Amino acid sequence: MKLNTILRLTSGAFAGLLLATVQSANAFTACQVTDLGGVDDKSFNETAWKGVQDAVAKHGIDSKILESKDGTDYEPHLNSMVGAGCDIIVAVGFLMGEATQKAAEANPDSKFTIIDFAYKPTIPNVLGQVFETDQAAFLAGYVSAGVSKTGIVGTFGGINIPPVTGFMDGFAWGVAHYNKVKGKNIQVLGWDPAAKEGLFTNNFDSLDDGRAFAQNLYDEGADIVMPVAGPVGLGSASLANELGSDKLKIIGVDGDWTVTDPTRKGVYLTSVMKNMDATTLSVIEMAKSGNFSGGVTAGTLENGGVGIAPYHELSSSVPSDLAAEVEALRKGIISGSIKMN
Amino acid sequence: MKIFLKIRQTFSIDKATFLDIFIIPILATSLAITIGLLLLLLSGESYQTALRALISLFVGSFGSVSALSETLTASTPLIFAALGIAIGFRAGLFNIGAEGQIIIGGLAAVIVGFSVELPLLLHLTIVLAIGAAFGAGYAFISGWLKAFTGAHEVITTIMLNLIAFRLLDFFLRLPFIQKEGRNDPISKSVLETAELPRLLGFIDPNLRIHAGFLLAVLAVVLVYWIIFHTTIGFEFRTVGTNIHAAKYAGVNSSLAVILAMSAAGLCAGLAGASQISGVLGRATSGFSAGIGFDAIAVALLGRAHPIGVLFSGILFGALVAGGREMQVSAGVSLDLITVIQALIIIFIAAPILIKSIFPWFFPKT
Amino acid sequence: MKIELKEISKSFGPVAANTKINLSVSSGETLGLLGENGAGKTTLMNVLTGLYKPDSGQVLIKGQQREFSNPRDAIKNGIGMVHQHFMLVPVFSVTENVILGNEPTTAVNRINLKEAREKVQNISSKYNLNVDPDELVERLPVGVQQRVEIIKILFRKAELLIFDEPTAVLTPQEVSDFFMIVNSLKNSGKAIIFITHKLHEVIQICDRINVLRRGEVVGEVNPKKTSNSELAELMVGRSVNLNTKRKKIDPGNVLLKVKNLQVISDKKEKVVSDVNLKLHEKEILGIAGVQGNGQTEFIEALTGLRKISSGEISYFDTNCTNFTPRKIHQMGIKHIPEDRQKQGLINEFSLTENIILNTYYEADFSKNISLNWNNARSEAARVMKQFDVRANSESSPAGNLSGGNQQKLVIGREMSRKINLLIASQPTRGVDVGSIEYIHSQIIAARNAGIGVLLNSTELEEIITLSDRIVVFFEGKIVAELPSNTDPKIIGLAMAGVVT
Repeated sequence: MKLNTILRLTSGAFAGLLLATVQSANAFTACQVTDLGGVDDKSFNETAWKGVQDAVAKHGIDSKILESKDGTDYEPHLNSMVGAGCDIIVAVGFLMGEATQKAAEANPDSKFTIIDFAYKPTIPNVLGQVFETDQAAFLAGYVSAGVSKTGIVGTFGGINIPPVTGFMDGFAWGVAHYNKVKGKNIQVLGWDPAAKEGLFTNNFDSLDDGRAFAQNLYDEGADIVMPVAGPVGLGSASLANELGSDKLKIIGVDGDWTVTDPTRKGVYLTSVMKNMDATTLSVIEMAKSGNFSGGVTAGTLENGGVGIAPYHELSSSVPSDLAAEVEALRKGIISGSIKMN
Repeated sequence: MKIFLKIRQTFSIDKATFLDIFIIPILATSLAITIGLLLLLLSGESYQTALRALISLFVGSFGSVSALSETLTASTPLIFAALGIAIGFRAGLFNIGAEGQIIIGGLAAVIVGFSVELPLLLHLTIVLAIGAAFGAGYAFISGWLKAFTGAHEVITTIMLNLIAFRLLDFFLRLPFIQKEGRNDPISKSVLETAELPRLLGFIDPNLRIHAGFLLAVLAVVLVYWIIFHTTIGFEFRTVGTNIHAAKYAGVNSSLAVILAMSAAGLCAGLAGASQISGVLGRATSGFSAGIGFDAIAVALLGRAHPIGVLFSGILFGALVAGGREMQVSAGVSLDLITVIQALIIIFIAAPILIKSIFPWFFPKT
Repeated sequence: MKIELKEISKSFGPVAANTKINLSVSSGETLGLLGENGAGKTTLMNVLTGLYKPDSGQVLIKGQQREFSNPRDAIKNGIGMVHQHFMLVPVFSVTENVILGNEPTTAVNRINLKEAREKVQNISSKYNLNVDPDELVERLPVGVQQRVEIIKILFRKAELLIFDEPTAVLTPQEVSDFFMIVNSLKNSGKAIIFITHKLHEVIQICDRINVLRRGEVVGEVNPKKTSNSELAELMVGRSVNLNTKRKKIDPGNVLLKVKNLQVISDKKEKVVSDVNLKLHEKEILGIAGVQGNGQTEFIEALTGLRKISSGEISYFDTNCTNFTPRKIHQMGIKHIPEDRQKQGLINEFSLTENIILNTYYEADFSKNISLNWNNARSEAARVMKQFDVRANSESSPAGNLSGGNQQKLVIGREMSRKINLLIASQPTRGVDVGSIEYIHSQIIAARNAGIGVLLNSTELEEIITLSDRIVVFFEGKIVAELPSNTDPKIIGLAMAGVVT
């Protein structure tokens, strides 16, 4: 430990001297490490970052961000944030699970929060944020089944991991529920919730893939598609924009895409929202006020952590009785009277 | 200074080589950083931000023990892979396939790493050897195709890269390899006996520099010896410099091409294995992270000289580590580092440009 | 028109390339500029054509001082040069090449090809150049390409034409055609400077000869009153023995036997057919022939570089047909390849590396796979000393050496190890006079020491000087086998396929 101290002092002296000239000291700093796709992905990285920025605006704290280019960046990025003296570090995404655990265990004095990952057993300095997106996606699936003219709807994911397939499960269950209630046979392409198999782009950044996958689903007859792959879905939206929303509608994920992507707002039937900005903001506030403790928080329909966006431009294509049924379902899920599967 | 002189003597680096492998890379990098910062200013950032970016680039790469550790950690696989590419260059081969060779080597290493139980040192040695062997085997395909069908190695290595990407995804989903409870392509973790020890872990567990860096330095010396002090290296260089003279000298150029390509793959395979054993602990679908492509730039920057590769590898590692600090401290996008790397490649591709900008460094010819 | 150079000096750093050079040439005159490689001929011409600025001295045209800052200035003043390496675009037609950079245009700025074509046609017929203005340059033989270069500078109204080593790339037939063209240019009033290091050419074609040595004019000679040896002495600075003495000695046992050899080229043509020959110890067998009559392929077949399709080669009673180059080399058959830059040496490698180019695997230079550079360096030093290779050090790159020193390096490498048979192809091509003398003496010394020598050269003079016996190649066959005292005219006819 003695050597440790000496090394840190000597090496730190030079670095400190230089950095002192360029860094302004601030009481509290919230830091985010993004997953692949970048902070401008109009999806989960961006939504989480909005939570950090809301905290900056509200409490006048400092913020830092590191964008990951490869999966190999997670660990050094998290280490860097520890080294930069962050008071709370936001790790965005399931794929950072192992790296965050490693960093948290090596640095028990630092506080972390990770989106889409819950540790069993829990780690004292990590707060996992998970979201019951299947609840909201269930509503989206139901409304899609009601709106579809071809009787076929589709979905595809980024990678076959629970935070992605949660959306797809809920979507497929919602359609199945519609079929059961109405005695119809609306089909879901791209995901089989029982077999846990379906369509995946295997990336979170190719807009071309988003377009190609939507095109395939459209060619197979689907007129509503829910892409669950962050910015990849924007490629699907641009296809829908060219075809026209009467031919193909898109369901956004994570944020309300009508708001985040206003240039193509005509194609979004609704969005399955995962309100990471709100939960992230509240975790930062907990850390700032000293109330932070490790564990898991879950976003649900009930606490507003997940939900579906308004129908906006396409509200005319959603009959009012269908909209009312969706609202009733929402209440049923919250009360537990509706079983999703 | 004495130690530098000693190094120059040991590796018989003459004045021209010295300029090529030390001065030009430094000048190219400085010029690229300068232009990068000018671009930053042009994009509307304040000069304080630019200054902060510049300082954090240095602080984040060499300014502390942890910065140095990150620099050397990032440089380790680059040095391995670039050594392979340098061997290829010496033999007249342009190996674009280091990325694929890293993947295949790393994949083989990870499988042996988690599935076999062996004592500490033996397990690690076998993991690295298997990684090297599979990298070599994968590159052998391109070498063989070149020697016996004349297929150009640029084409075949690019194709083999694409195949490697898909193979990796396929293998990572096999139940035997895939991590329990996961549906995405991610492997099981290697056993502790297969991990390269962290060199400074006793000081601070966050210091990631591992024994792989020492192996990389060892590899530099070994590759230097092979290229300049063995008959095999002599044959590589003969074939690579003048194929007609090689034929006249009775060199079996097909064999030389296959050997050089396999040696290149061996080095890339080691890069993959050392990433698995020293840094990542498991394979995911993007674990090669473009190292095989960055290594091409490193080999070019190092003028295909092993000492130059070591130096440029550290320089590129410094850009990775410093670029991270730049993002954290100055809030500058990592894209700037990509721009700087691209500029460096432009400048080393056109050494005349560097020589005309900094004429006083170079003797008149 | 008279062009004069007065007291021209030009140095590069400490090296003086030209020192106070005076020379002049007038219309209707051919001036020969003779000198070894590195004597300063090229630098002087670069001054005259505006590529270099002289440190001091003047260029006078018709008595008026002119300064050229670039080659365009020089051409405007009527000075044009045909370089040793042609500057033509292969896929362009003759006319297009001629007008390139100087295109005549119509009113609306379109290239006036028709007018240009007529001009090219006129120039061609005026000087008997016989060039088709519409043919693509890549389809033309080298000799005709050279005439395109001549048309190019005549098109730009040159009054002084400078030829830099113009015959280096030409066949004997093309050389005599070229000399006719030079004379017709001269007779129509052009001034001509003819740069070369070939003695007989200046004597044959020039009206006056200036000899350059180490950047200075060391003599002006009247070609009608001089001799090869006088010129050579001026050029080299000491007396040179061009007629190397060759004692007649009796040949020894048969060393190499070639039976019905046939070689098919890459283009599936029969390039060597039915070649039979025997070579003895203590004998120099000359292969005469115009370039491109199968000699190159024949030598490649002998040395293992080219596959033999039928026939047999035996050496000391060992059948070595289609052996690898290394095996053949190991048996003591050493090869001086015709293109030392392409095959014999690696320009980028040091002299030491070149010395072990084809012996690096031998026990003297390596153990297992580890090279012994100390032995290699001392071998290099030994060869450099013994064979008079002049270089800064054994670690300088071979590409920095002059042609003569490069060739001496190759010859030294091959002759200083175990050798029974020397196959020497164009051993003195592009080599200065001093080195030619030395190389010739080494070849004869080798033969006197009991080695058999197969000498392939397109320089008939060289064949006659050195050979004990001569075979003549024509269209891939041996058309004549002649004793060395045969009249050169008869050999020349045989080279053209006419056998009496």
